[in-house]
Amino acid sequence: MSLINLQNIYKIYHVGGEEVRALDGVDISIFENEYLAIMGPSGSGKSTLMNMIGCLDTPTTGVYEFENEMVHIMDDKQLASIRNRKIGFVFQTFNLLPKATAQHNVEIPLVYANIPKTERLQMSKKALASVGLEDRMLHKPNELSGGQRQRVAIARALVNNPSIILADEPTGNLDSKSGKEIMGIFDSLYNEGHTIIMVTHEDDIASHAQRTVKLFDGKITEDSKTNIK
Amino acid sequence: MISIFFENFSMAFSSVLSNKTRSLLTALGIIIGVFSVTLMGTLISGLDRSFEGSMSMLGRDILYISRYEWFGDQEWWEVRNRPRMKIEYVNKIKNKSRYALAVAPVMQRGAELSSKEDNIRTEIFGTNIDYIKTISADIKEGRFFSNSDDRKGRRVTVVGHGIKDVFFKGKNPIGENIKIDGEKFRIIGVLEKQGKFLGLFSVDNQAIIPQGAYMRLFSRRGWTRLSVKVPEQKIEEAKDEIYSIMRQIRGLKPNQKDDFAINQTKAFEKQYNSIKIAIAGTGFFITMLSLVVGGIGIMNIMFVSVTERTREIGVRKAIGATKNMILSQFLMEAITICLAAGIIGLIFAYIISLIINNFFPSTMPLGLSILAVLMSIIVGVVSGIIPSYKAANLDPIDSLRYE
Repeated sequence: MSLINLQNIYKIYHVGGEEVRALDGVDISIFENEYLAIMGPSGSGKSTLMNMIGCLDTPTTGVYEFENEMVHIMDDKQLASIRNRKIGFVFQTFNLLPKATAQHNVEIPLVYANIPKTERLQMSKKALASVGLEDRMLHKPNELSGGQRQRVAIARALVNNPSIILADEPTGNLDSKSGKEIMGIFDSLYNEGHTIIMVTHEDDIASHAQRTVKLFDGKITEDSKTNIK
Repeated sequence: MISIFFENFSMAFSSVLSNKTRSLLTALGIIIGVFSVTLMGTLISGLDRSFEGSMSMLGRDILYISRYEWFGDQEWWEVRNRPRMKIEYVNKIKNKSRYALAVAPVMQRGAELSSKEDNIRTEIFGTNIDYIKTISADIKEGRFFSNSDDRKGRRVTVVGHGIKDVFFKGKNPIGENIKIDGEKFRIIGVLEKQGKFLGLFSVDNQAIIPQGAYMRLFSRRGWTRLSVKVPEQKIEEAKDEIYSIMRQIRGLKPNQKDDFAINQTKAFEKQYNSIKIAIAGTGFFITMLSLVVGGIGIMNIMFVSVTERTREIGVRKAIGATKNMILSQFLMEAITICLAAGIIGLIFAYIISLIINNFFPSTMPLGLSILAVLMSIIVGVVSGIIPSYKAANLDPIDSLRYE
C-alpha cells in the first residue's frame, strides 16, 4: 500500500503564450519508510514535483493520492490541513521566523493544528530535544549557527509527527561539517521509521537515500526502485 | 481557534513593538482622531453642565422685557433711542395679563459696597418684592424685604452670598450695616450661593434694595428691565400675551415696529446650540480627517509589512496556515496598531480633560470614549482588510521563493 501515489501528473504553465510543461506525465508511488532523493538539473521540474508532493501546488491534470485522500481535488483549506498534519517541510534557507525563539518556531504548526498551549510546549520541547537543541530553546534564529537553525527547522517539521518529511536542498546553505550533521539527523530519522523525500542536485547527498528518482524536462528519466531508465 | 487568536495577537503585538517608531508614526493619525473626538466630547459635556446651571439661574419660566434683544442684530443706535422701561408697566402688566405670576422691575447699576475698611465694586439692583420669585436663588438667612419696606423705601438690603464671605468672613451679617455708594443700608437677608453665570462672572456679589430707596438715593433713570414670571408650560402663550400688552402700553400702531424686546432663556439656548454645533462640527471634521488619513497610513504600512514578510507568509502556509489564518494574523496586526493608538489618544485626552476641569467642571464622557476606541478598531479593520486579503491570497510557492 503506497503512502503517496501520483498518476499521470501534468503541470502546464503558459508563459508569454508559450506552453511550459513543468511536469510532463509523472507517475510515481512512494511507500512508507522510504528515503527518496529527487535529482535533476535546474528546470527539470524537481521543485515543481516537490511542491506537488508537498501539497503547495495542484496538478493541471492527473491524480494525486496521499494516504488514500484525493489531493488533486482538494480546496485551499483542505490542502493547508494536509500540509499541517501530514507533511514536514525543511527548506534550504531554513525559513524560521526571525523574531520568534527556537521553541516558538517549532510551536507554530501546532498552533495551526489548534493544540492547546501546554501540550504545544511539551511537544516542541520533545522535538527540539530530538535534534539535540534542548539547551537552545529560547534562542532566536540570529543567535544560532546555520546548522542549529536547520535543526530547529527539522524539529519544526517533526513536531506534528507527519507522514513524510520533505526537504529541499537541506544542506545547500551549510558548510560541509554542518551538512554532515544534518544528513546524520535525516539518516537517523529514516532509521526510526520516517519517510523522507529530499530534493538535491548533489550526488553525495543523494547517496544517503535508498531510492533515487531523476527528472529531466518534466519527465522521470530514472528511478532506482523501478529501474526505469 | 482560540489558540490561533492568541498566537495572532501576540505575533501582532511583537511585530508592532519591534517597529516602535514606524508603528507610532503610523498610528499618529488615529491618536489625533481619538484625542480630538474625546476632547470635544469632554468640552461639550462641560459646557452643557455649566450652561444648564446658568439657564436655571436665569429661569426657564421668566420673560425679560427690556429695550435690548439679548442676541439681536438691530443697529445699536436704533435700540438706544427706544423708550426706557417704566415702573408703572409693572401694574399694567399685572392687571392685564392672565399669565403673569410675578412682575418685578429691575433697576441695575454699578456701585461700591463698603463696610469698615473693606470695599468692593459690584452691581446693585433696585426692585420690588416680586423679585425673589423671579430668581432661582432662595433666601438663605434672614428674609427678603417686605411690601412695607418697599413702599416706605427703607434702607434695607438683601445681599449675595459672596458679600457675606467678603465683609463678614462667613459670620451672620443680618442686622449689620453696609454702605452702598456711601449710603448706609441694613442687611436683612442673604441669598444662597449660586456660582458663576456661564462660567464668566459671579452673581454672588450683588446687593438688592427696594425700588423706592434705589430711586430716591441713586437714580430714577438708569438701566431698567422687567422680569415676569409665568407658568413654564405656558411660556409661549404668555410671551404672545405680554407682547401685545406691551405694544398696547407703548401705544404702537400696527404698522409701527416694536420698541422693546421680550427675552427668555430660549435665546441663550439657540445661541448655545449654534456654538455647540460649531464645536462638534469642528471636532467631527478633525476626527474624520485624521481617521481617514490615519487609516490610509495604516493601510500603507500594512502593505509594506505584507511585502516585507512575504517569505514568512509562504512558510506559514507551508506549515499549515489557511488563508483565513493569514488574513486574521495581518488584520489583527492592523487592529492592534489602531487599538493601541486609540488608547494612547484616550489617555492624552484624559490628561487634557483633567487640566480643562480646572477651568470649568467637565468629565470625559464614558460612552464617547468607548465609541472612540470602537471607531479605532473599525479603522483598523477597514484599513487592514485589503493588505490582509492580499497576504492571505499570496501563492505559497512564489512567497517561499521571494527574496
